[in-house]
Amino acid sequence: MERMEAVIAGLVVIAIIVSASTLWYGVTVLSDVSKLTDSTAELTSSMVDLTEELASLAGTVGASLDTIEDVLARLRAVEATLTPTITVIGPWAGKEMDAFLPVLDRFEALYGINVKYKKYRAEELATLLPAQFAAGKTPGDVIFMWGWWIAENGEEGHVLDVTDLVDEADFLNGTFDPVKVGNTIYGGAYTGKVKPGFWYRKSFFTANGLTPPTTWAEFETLLADIAAIPGIVNPIASGDGVGWPLSDITEHFIITYGGPQLQRDLIAGTVAWTSPEVKTTVFEEKLVPLLTAGHFSDPAEWTTILKEWWDGDYGLYFMGSWITGMVDDPNDLGVFSLPGCEGLVFVADYCFIPTYTEHLDEAKELFQFLASEEAQRVQVAQGGHIATNIHVSLDEYPAVDRMVANLTTGKEVLLDLDDTIGGAFQSTFWEQLQLLWVSPGQLDAVLAAIEAVAP
Amino acid sequence: MGRNRITVKKNLPLFFSPALILIIFFVVFPALQTVYISFLSPSDEFVGFDNYADVLSRAEIVNLEGFPKWPPLGALIHNLIWIAIHLPLSMFSGLALAIILRDVKGASIVKSAIFLGMVTPMVVGGLILRFSFEERVGLVNAFFNILGFEQLTRTWTAYPETALFALIFGSVWLWTGFSMILYSAGLATIPKDYYEAAKIDGASPLRTFYRITFPLLKPITIVVISMTLLWELKIFDIVFAAFSGTRGPGGAGNVLALQMWLYAFRFSEYNSAAVVATFLTAFTLVISVWMIRYMVKR
Repeated sequence: MERMEAVIAGLVVIAIIVSASTLWYGVTVLSDVSKLTDSTAELTSSMVDLTEELASLAGTVGASLDTIEDVLARLRAVEATLTPTITVIGPWAGKEMDAFLPVLDRFEALYGINVKYKKYRAEELATLLPAQFAAGKTPGDVIFMWGWWIAENGEEGHVLDVTDLVDEADFLNGTFDPVKVGNTIYGGAYTGKVKPGFWYRKSFFTANGLTPPTTWAEFETLLADIAAIPGIVNPIASGDGVGWPLSDITEHFIITYGGPQLQRDLIAGTVAWTSPEVKTTVFEEKLVPLLTAGHFSDPAEWTTILKEWWDGDYGLYFMGSWITGMVDDPNDLGVFSLPGCEGLVFVADYCFIPTYTEHLDEAKELFQFLASEEAQRVQVAQGGHIATNIHVSLDEYPAVDRMVANLTTGKEVLLDLDDTIGGAFQSTFWEQLQLLWVSPGQLDAVLAAIEAVAP
Repeated sequence: MGRNRITVKKNLPLFFSPALILIIFFVVFPALQTVYISFLSPSDEFVGFDNYADVLSRAEIVNLEGFPKWPPLGALIHNLIWIAIHLPLSMFSGLALAIILRDVKGASIVKSAIFLGMVTPMVVGGLILRFSFEERVGLVNAFFNILGFEQLTRTWTAYPETALFALIFGSVWLWTGFSMILYSAGLATIPKDYYEAAKIDGASPLRTFYRITFPLLKPITIVVISMTLLWELKIFDIVFAAFSGTRGPGGAGNVLALQMWLYAFRFSEYNSAAVVATFLTAFTLVISVWMIRYMVKR
């Protein structure tokens, strides 16, 4: 029994020890769990803090981004107010440039775009531009150039298609023909000049009892009368630059005695230069007899002979309407077309936008402005120019230019023959006319050479 | 010292390379590209020598139909005429002036005045010639009038018979200064003893010239001839300025370089322009090689 009690007591002690150990272990575990809970709470708290910090940081970054965007927006606004300077290239220098600059001033005032003017003649540009374009560059944003050249380079992708920038209805009929390929327009028409006929000094005619002719016979008589005046070298001064003043005279004879349609046919290449209507009617019957009779002077540098004509060494001078800006007293100028003339050559100054411009929008603005009534009104008021935009009133012209503009009334306005065809034809045409002027006996060879390069 | 020389020699290619790279990119490559273009059609197809056959048979290059006749004879023939007249005239007039002015007091002032033509830009020279030959304002015609040759008074550059020759004779004035200066320098190197010996031997001035002066000036003559030839082949600026960019009346003043320019920049015929350019380069290369070989031999 006692042994039994001893076993039970041992078991109780063991149970107590196990229970105490379990309890201790439980308490320890619970304590650890409690500590863990505290740590978790702390961690949670830290995470909350971190989240708050992150949120705060995100707010700060967001604010910074807002600030950056704000700064960028401001910069864009400043950039918008800082307009680029665009470059326009034209052929005018001296007095002609002085007459063009007010147009650019007007554009700057209206659009707030700065414009720099550079002077390059078309011949210089013909050398300069191909290399620039090949490199994808351009020396100007709006460039004045030959019409045929613009069309040719438009087809090759160097010139911007401006069909949507102009409305042909606002311009003289056919003005855009030289710069069109199919229905695509590559160039804009600025003002132009008329080649109305033979200019004379009113004072010279009055002093010598001369009057403008109304028939071919009267014209021949007039030339004979002028030739008889003491001190006269030749009745007509033949200006020569690269041959173009001679080509203007020739075209005037073609239009008058072959008719306006012949001029169009020769441009289109549907009539041969050696055909009777050209060779016989125009050259053999009209122009060549005057050359043979010595009524025309030898070709001489056109500005030099202009002065000599003005000084009375010659009686008549064939020139375009820009002559009004080149003489001392434009009011002393008179002009007549060959009797029976039904058409006049009008030469517009054409401009284009190169594909490679870095200021496309501004270039378009200037391009459209130059074609506008506003710009052309400013230009014609300076003298020497005739508007291509039909909305420019005759009242805007100086008196002498109004007289020239009036000459076109009732006459067909025609394109310049050699300017429209251009290329090898133009150079050959000029050179052959230089030859004809001093050797009229070589008419057949001259016409054959022209025909060889004609369209 | 010796080591430095070896280092320099070793690094020579390095020193040459910047210039060489520039020359390759800006001279050799464009030149080869031009030759290449001359064998292509406008649509960039290889056509062999077709372009050469086409261009060199054109009337603006060679026009001998009806020969003998006055110009226009074609650019190539005009260049040859230029050489035939201008080369001997400018060379011998320069030599004559150098000899005449050798022992003259104040000769340097006269030489400077003559050399002015050479200093003048040739474009300006072309314009001067154009106006000098004008009928009413030209100096040449005024001169003819004073001498009583009124029948010669005309605008020389306006007539096909005289346009080319007006420029050639006018350019003799512009170019004579070059040969005169070179010959003057050459004359200064000939020892006076030779002339004294010739004088003692009783040699006439003409014989002295042929036996002493001219042979001893041979190196100078070679330089004058080759440089003048190169200039005449490349002639462009005078003609361009005198005829305002055209080839003169009926093409009577045309030359190869002008025709090349017209092909390229007026007619947009780049392949034809490349043909003329290659042709001109080949011509000038032959002369240059001849001159260099002569120099090296000496």
